[in-house]
Amino acid sequence: MDSPDTPRRRAPRTPEQERATAIAQERRQAILIRARRIRRSVAALTATLFSVAFLVIYVQLASGHDPALDANAKRTAAEKADKVSSSTNSTGTTSSSGSSAPATSTESSESVESSSASTSSEDEASTASEESSSSASAVTTSQS
Amino acid sequence: MTSTSILATAVGPHLFWITSRAAGIAALVLSSLSVCIGLLMGGGIVKRQRLELRVTHEALALATLGALLVHGLSLIGDSYLHPSLADVAIPFLSGYMTLWTSMGIVAFWMLAILGLSYYARTRIGVQRWRVLHRFTALAWILGIAHSLGEGTDAGQAWFLAMTGIVVVPALVLLVIRHLGSARASAGPAVTAGERRAARKLSAAAIPQPDWSDHGLA
Repeated sequence: MDSPDTPRRRAPRTPEQERATAIAQERRQAILIRARRIRRSVAALTATLFSVAFLVIYVQLASGHDPALDANAKRTAAEKADKVSSSTNSTGTTSSSGSSAPATSTESSESVESSSASTSSEDEASTASEESSSSASAVTTSQS
Repeated sequence: MTSTSILATAVGPHLFWITSRAAGIAALVLSSLSVCIGLLMGGGIVKRQRLELRVTHEALALATLGALLVHGLSLIGDSYLHPSLADVAIPFLSGYMTLWTSMGIVAFWMLAILGLSYYARTRIGVQRWRVLHRFTALAWILGIAHSLGEGTDAGQAWFLAMTGIVVVPALVLLVIRHLGSARASAGPAVTAGERRAARKLSAAAIPQPDWSDHGLA
């Protein structure tokens, strides 16, 4: 009786079996070669895709047409414009021109003068209205 | 100074960012191709050249994972966002576009786990693995949503055209597959026992060759 360690004896292979094994090995080899070729093609495709995408983005960025940087530039410009317009509004809103352009020193002095003039005219108007109201009250008292 | 060096100086600070964007685009294309081939194989649409398809599917999936690793890790070097490793690896941690970023991170982990589980499918159980592997399509869809929602180039015509070319065929195949499986599930339900019995019957009906005379028994 054979012990479990002793290798099993194989029957001698017939030439047909040898030929079949050789064919199977050839086919296996061919499959392995095809698989390797496919893997290489995929690696090449990956490298090409990455390179093309990199180049497109690089050129886009270098030529100043990058979407993110464009958006940033637009946002910054809009913020600047907002700041400028708000500063113009705070200094020269009562100027007769009414433009949103930043005011020069002469324009601002003029606007200050015009604003002071307007305040004086407002004062005059208020005194006039007081006078008219007093006169009105006089009228009412006279009527009564 | 030459024009090339001027360009390099201008683009230099953004190199990590460009690398990340390019790798993301490559990953989107590769994953879409991989999903396409997987659906062609699984749906039984292509019945010949299965070996080539399987090898291509596997290689594309591995290339996708590689591109996704480059996409995430290169962002760490970006001087503008400057995220940590945790920011790019753990969902809902990054403060930048949290929802879209988290969607991308979840998609990556799903793709990695479901994709690499192929090598442990005998341990998991082939049938169970196949069911799990279907969720790869969900991860792919999450990835597309991430690229369209957060991608810097998402508004660009070339990006949308490229995405359409690779994504639409895969989506069509996915719909066909789901319609097919829905139709199959609407038919009479076959239990596992019935399937086993049918297999035994067919095995008994087909005469088995006697290999003993070839020394192969």
